[in-house]
Parts: sequence; structure tokens; C-alpha cells
Amino acid sequence: MQQDTLSTAATSAVFSHSSAGKTAAVEFRQVSKSFGPHEVIRNVDLRVDSGEVVAVCGPSGSGKSTLIRLINQLESVSSGEIYIDNQPTRNLKGAALRQLRTHIGFVFQQFNLYAHLTAEDNVSLALIKVHGWNKTQAREKARALLTRVGLGDKAQHYPEQLSGGQQQRVAIARALVTDPGIILFDEPTSALDPEMIGEVLLVMQELAKSGITMIVVTHEMSFAREIADRVIFMDGGEILEQAQPEDFFLRPQHPRAQRFLQKVLFPLHPQSGVAL
Amino acid sequence: MEFDWSVIHDNFTYLLWGRLADGEPGGVLLTLIMAASAGVLALLFGVLMAALAWRFGGWTRKILFIWASFIRGIPLIFVIFWLYFLLPVVFGGSIPGPMTVILALAWFTSAAVMHSTLAGLEALPRGQTEAGIASGMSDGKVLLFVLLPQAWPNLLPSYLGLLISLVKDTSLAFIVNVPELTTVAGQVNNRVQIYPAEIFLLVGLMYYLLCASLAYLAGKSIKRRQGLRT
Amino acid sequence: MNWHPDWAGVLTGQPLQWIISGFLTTLYVSIVGSLLATLLTVLLLALRMSSSRLARGAVAAFVSVFRNTPLLVQLLFWYFAAYGALPQSWRFYIGDNHPWATFPGNIAWLTPEFLCAAWGLALFTAAFLVEEVQAGLNSVPKGQTEAAISQGFSRKTLLLSILLPQALINAWQPITGQYLNLMKLSSLATGIGFSELTYQVSQIESYNAHAFEGFAVGTLLYLALGLILGWLMTAFGPKRPQHRPQVVLKEETRDGV
Repeated sequence: MQQDTLSTAATSAVFSHSSAGKTAAVEFRQVSKSFGPHEVIRNVDLRVDSGEVVAVCGPSGSGKSTLIRLINQLESVSSGEIYIDNQPTRNLKGAALRQLRTHIGFVFQQFNLYAHLTAEDNVSLALIKVHGWNKTQAREKARALLTRVGLGDKAQHYPEQLSGGQQQRVAIARALVTDPGIILFDEPTSALDPEMIGEVLLVMQELAKSGITMIVVTHEMSFAREIADRVIFMDGGEILEQAQPEDFFLRPQHPRAQRFLQKVLFPLHPQSGVAL
Repeated sequence: MEFDWSVIHDNFTYLLWGRLADGEPGGVLLTLIMAASAGVLALLFGVLMAALAWRFGGWTRKILFIWASFIRGIPLIFVIFWLYFLLPVVFGGSIPGPMTVILALAWFTSAAVMHSTLAGLEALPRGQTEAGIASGMSDGKVLLFVLLPQAWPNLLPSYLGLLISLVKDTSLAFIVNVPELTTVAGQVNNRVQIYPAEIFLLVGLMYYLLCASLAYLAGKSIKRRQGLRT
Repeated sequence: MNWHPDWAGVLTGQPLQWIISGFLTTLYVSIVGSLLATLLTVLLLALRMSSSRLARGAVAAFVSVFRNTPLLVQLLFWYFAAYGALPQSWRFYIGDNHPWATFPGNIAWLTPEFLCAAWGLALFTAAFLVEEVQAGLNSVPKGQTEAAISQGFSRKTLLLSILLPQALINAWQPITGQYLNLMKLSSLATGIGFSELTYQVSQIESYNAHAFEGFAVGTLLYLALGLILGWLMTAFGPKRPQHRPQVVLKEETRDGV
């Protein structure tokens, strides 16, 4: 128990460090997660290095969304430990947990923008209400970020006036406003019409080059192929294969990975007969 | 503060059914009779108005909505007073008090029934209506056999809520001296004078039991619907 | 039929005085009752959000009792039973004439009838307002709560900056409806001898039998008051941002659990 208190104190000290832009590493050690009797994540070990860009893919129900939701504790682990910058995070509560969360950005499949606020206010709200920034400076920063994602002229628009692709880009700007060290994406393009996927992927590509740690759960194979440093394949709550994108797409090793890729890349030829 | 419940004991049957022996039902019995009668009438009128608004749209719907806001825009007491004076003129003779109150309640509540029914109908996917029409059904048949049966599970909780309001609204008969539960309690209080707390707490409890049971039924009907969904 | 409406019979002299007095009384008791109801609603919501089961249970009991009993019975209780339980010195004080305790138009408010009416109306309406606000809160998509938590918002800031503003926008129409109900239900205070508009209209009926004219004027006044108050609440209340046609999201294809 003494150890826990110490580690909690240490962890909050790390995360209240003023250089908020420091990118962080994430490590899962023997992490399991169950919802009731249903085991969704099974003894997962994983390390994502600082600045790495990782794509997580796999069939429905594989547990990939849950995997990243465990990192910022939208769900809590059933057993095991998650380390962020080598600090354990499982026992963080209250203010320390909120501190941790400000250093992790999260982008949702459904965008989840605050419907009653303009794009600019969406992005600046956390700075004002959680970090105590003054309104003018917060808004300036918000506008700068919106410009960075290509929406400088939409700052005064409300979410319902924006297309899906635009909303998701605002969501990305919102996630970046607190200079997080890690940014997590939960199927960021799955709710978008096809012609809008590109604009979001371009923003994510630019982000990847900036050196931030990125973990992206996605079906978008173009992201995995062209932007990720590493691809992780999950099924049944376990990580079955990890490889560099080239190796993963050309020469998948695990049979389930092979079957998955066959279905995704060649949907009209679900039985392998066409070479990958 | 001391409570003396003997006043309840002495007047209990009067509170429950008034002068039933003399052919004048009162108390809780009359409350129930009035609420049920008004409920049936309100349901008939309300569903009819909703059907008209749904079927014809446009001006018909606008006029019905204006009519509904007019009715609901004046206090129920006024509606009772209006009918109290108008009905004898229309029917050429005096109308029994309870009847006036029932008609007033029905008229007042039918507006709410119309709104709830319309909301329930319009919450259904448009495709349902289109499928019915595409197979050659008349509008009436679509309404009766396709829409209302599907809207019913959603409508039931709303209707029960309106019934609860009706039960409470019967207390307004107090103003025109129709001997339902509240009036009868007021009479007892006037006569006895010194036990108002006991009387009105009991009466409150009786209404509470009535209304809370209806609310419980409404809650159960919502849960049953949700249970069937998954 | 040789009967013609005699508007002069109600729009002059004593009847007119009664109508004006009744109208103002209705207006004032509605305002005071609404203010009280709002304060109570805020208190009840705060209690409901607390971590104490006792507090939450108390709110649930309050809402249940005051929603499932008729307002008239509540008013009769407050006036005939509860008022009598107040300390005698208070009751004597209130019973005295206090020229300072009047609203414009010479409407006295420090009377048992006014106080019991305002109090009774406030408690009754608060029980409904709490549920309307709760419904508004429930209608905010849960995803926004997750987004806020992901950004490190505390529960309190989440409630105040994100959930409550949207709850009020979503529920503003039914909330307005509850306040308008309060105004119309003030007519029930006739039953405790409170001289608001309905009471005064009945007076006119006893005075010169001009029932039709009296009720017509009363009806128009209630309608007008409702329209004006409703318009004010819509004009000054929270509004949805003006918008072009809504973006339609594709069905969620949620992977994982």
C-alpha cells in the first residue's frame, strides 16, 4: 500500500510537469479486461515507444477499441498494469487521474463534439475550464490549431453546420489543444462518408510526422500501410501479430491475420485463392 | 403537534363513497367514476383529432393545434365554469354536476391526448406508412392496422400519465361543489374544523396511492417494451 | 334570444376594479411562485447529484409525493393544516395589516393566502421541473460525457459547462410549459379564498350575474398572460444555434466491445 501511494504521488508529479509537449511511451503488462463473464482483453503485453505511430486492426469484437480505452481509463483494467512513461497508472484516482487524462488526447468514432459550442469554443473549452487559461489566449490557440487542421475559417461554426470530415478534424484539434504526449484514435474514419476520409487521414499523417505518440484503431488500411510505423493485429482479445506494415500486408504470418486480410482487401474473394 | 385519527374513523366511509346509499356516489368512488369516464371520452376525441391531423395535415392540423392551445391555455377551472353555464343553455335544462365536470375534464384532456398520439404516430419510421400505402391500403386502414398497433407500446405510458393527471384534476370539482374526494374532505373539515391535518394528509395519501399505482404501471409498461427490444 | 352581452357591466366600476386586482394578484403570485420554484429546483438537483443515498432518496420521495397528489389538496393542506402549525406570533404578525408589504397596484403579499398559494405552487412545480431538467440531461448524447472525461474535466465542470447548458436548451419548451402551468394553476388558490383572477370573476358573477362577460374577460386575460409569458421565456431563454440542414451521421459500426 505504501508503494501504491508513492507511485501515485510520483505519477502525478510526472504528469504535472510543465513541459506538456513531452511525448510518452505506453506499456501494457499482462493486462486483462472482462465485462462481467466476458473476457475482452486477455493477458496483453504491448509496448509503444515514445513517438511511435501504431495501427491496431482486427475483426469486430477483437477488443481493439477496449484496448485504447483502457489507456485513458474510459474503462479500467481487470488485472495487469498499464505504464505511461514508466509510471503505473492503475491506481490513479480523482485529480491525479484527471491530470493524466489531460496528457492523453482521444478522438472518437462519433466525434462527440460539444453541440452547444462553436468549433473554436469546442477546442478552447478544456484550456479555460480545466487548465485555467484566460479566454483570449485560449481562443488564440484554438484558432491556431483549427488553422493547422485546415478549418481556420470555420471557427465560429457549430458542429451541426459542419460535415462529418470537418467535425472530426475539429475533434482532432480539440484533442491536441492541451499538448498531449499521446493521442489515441478509435476508428476515426468509420462514421464518415468515403469522400471525407481523405481530409482526416491527411491531418493524421501530418500529426504522425510531428513526432507525437499515436495509437490508431482503424479499418482504414491505407493509414496502416502508409503512415504507421507498426501494425498490430488483434483477435479474440489477444495480440496475434505485430509487424512493420510492409511485412504485415505482404506476408502475414498468423492464419487468422491472413484470413482477415483476405476478407478486407479482397471482399469478393473471401476464400484465399487470390494471392495476397 | 398531536394527531387525532378518530376523525378519520368516523368519516371514512363518507370519504370513500359519499352518499351512495342515497343514490349519490361521492368520495373516492366518484373520483374514480369521473376519471374513468373522462378518460374514455378524452381518448376517443383525442385519437380522432390526431387521426384527422395526421391524415389531412396542412390547415386541418394547424387549426387543431390552435384549438388545442386555446383549450390548454386557460385554467381547467375556467373550462369547468364555462361548461357549467353553457351546457344548460345548449341542452335546455340543468345537467348533473358530475356530468359537467366529466365533460370539462374530457374536453381539456383531449388536447393532450391528441398531442401524445400524434407524437407517437410521427415517431414511427415513415417507411411503415409508405409500405402500407404501396400495398394498396387506404389511409384509415394504414392507421388502424399498421401504425396504431406499433405506436401503442409507446403511447401507453403517455396515456397512463394523462390518466394520472385526470385523477388529480377531478379534485377541481371542489370549486363547483361536486362531492368527489376533495370536496367531501373539505365538507368534513368545515364541519369538524379542528383536524385539518389528519383529513388532508389522509386524502393526500389516498390520491397518492391511486396515482402512484398508475405511475408504477406506466413504468412497468416502459420496461416491458425495453425488455422485448433486446 | 333577447340576451346581449353587456360588457360595460364588467368593464366599469367595481367589477373592473376586481378584474384588475385579480389580474395583478395572479401575475404577482405567479412571479413569486416561479422564483421560489426555481430556487427549489436548483436545490433538489444539487441534492440529486450528491453521493449521499439519503439525499437522493429524499429527492425521489419529494418528487413522488408532490407529483402524485392534486395541487388543490396540497393547497388545502398548507392553508388549513400547515399554516396553523406556524408559531402563533408569526401568524398574528402576518394577519396584521402591513401597508409596506404590497406590490404595485395595492396587492398585499404578506397574507396567509398569498404565502400559502405561492409556497404550494412552488413546491408542486419544483417537483415537475426537476424531472424536466433531468430529462434534458438524459438527452445529451453520452459521447460528449466521454469526450469531456477524456479531456480531464471533473464531474462538476462537466455538468456546469457541457451537460446543463445543453439540457436547458433541449428541455426549454417543457420547462416553459411548467412555468405557464404554474400561472394557470394559480387559479386553484380560489379554493383557499385567495383573491386572484378566478376568484374575482366569480365575485362579479355573484355581484351582477354577468357570468358570460366575466368569464370571457377572464379567459382572454389568462390567454394573454400565457402568450406574453411564453413569448418572454422563448425570447430570453437558451436557444439552439441557428443552423443549416443537419449533417447525417452514418450508423455507428462499433468494433470491439
